Amino acid sequence: MSNGVLDERSAEELGAVDILFFQIGDSEYGTDASQVLRIDRALPDDLTVRDLGLPHRGLRALVFDTPEGEGHLKVDAVNGVRSVALAVLRRMPAAAAAAPYAVGICLDEASRRPVLLIDLAETLKTQGRH
Amino acid sequence: MTPTSTPLQRALRQAPDRTLAAQARPELEFFCFRVGELRFGVPSENVTEVLRAGLLTPLPRTPSFIMGVTGHRGQVLPVVDLLRFLSKGEARIGPRTRIFVGVSGSFVSGVVADTVLGLRRVPVSDILPPPLGGDAAAEHLLGIVSGGGPHDGLNLLNFSKLLQTARQRAVVR
Repeated sequence: MSNGVLDERSAEELGAVDILFFQIGDSEYGTDASQVLRIDRALPDDLTVRDLGLPHRGLRALVFDTPEGEGHLKVDAVNGVRSVALAVLRRMPAAAAAAPYAVGICLDEASRRPVLLIDLAETLKTQGRH
Repeated sequence: MTPTSTPLQRALRQAPDRTLAAQARPELEFFCFRVGELRFGVPSENVTEVLRAGLLTPLPRTPSFIMGVTGHRGQVLPVVDLLRFLSKGEARIGPRTRIFVGVSGSFVSGVVADTVLGLRRVPVSDILPPPLGGDAAAEHLLGIVSGGGPHDGLNLLNFSKLLQTARQRAVVR
């Protein structure tokens, strides 16, 4: 059993989950930190999800694992990883019927506004490429 | 010799148990606000509180009338632009913009208001039916109250129906 799994379990037992916060344009998003393999330099063919806004420069990419291989999402900045209490996480309101990759909201007080939580693998299904 | 009653005692014997005006003219209470050039009223029982419009988080691929979500008392609140929903234009968020929290059954939503006009009791007899053959917005009106000027009228919203339709439009897409 790797330390990563142990860390993950202990975080869940403590009622928290590690969220990686990142910036695309002026908007901040969050994703499950365990989905992210690494942060890389962006390449021209890397994924841009138009609905999330266009990156200002998009010099970085979040690299994540999918059944088809690695996915690369272009971002402007990575704001860091924070352990976020489950108590401040919310599922998407059903009435909003947002895109399938928008999986929830983080109401963490450290953020200026509610942060949209993204499932990185789902963004690929939406775009049909990686 | 029987004692004679005083004028006050006689008056009190004839006094009504409650205000006659209220009996004759039942009223409904509305939470009134302005957005764009339009004035609206929502039944006060559908409104729980009014907030300052803070920073909204836009949601991808939602209908255009959902401006985004905001966090309020630990709850994620979708925020509705009534003007877009009724095809009457587009609301703009400014420093004086307010959001009122509207509820109907289990549905809770924020609605953008440029100005809150307050609570107003409207005699039922003053409520006119929505215009026949009106646009799609008319189907979400309980009625209208005429005012002195062209912009003084009040559009009384059927808020429960409005929230239900908004949810259907969002989910059906």
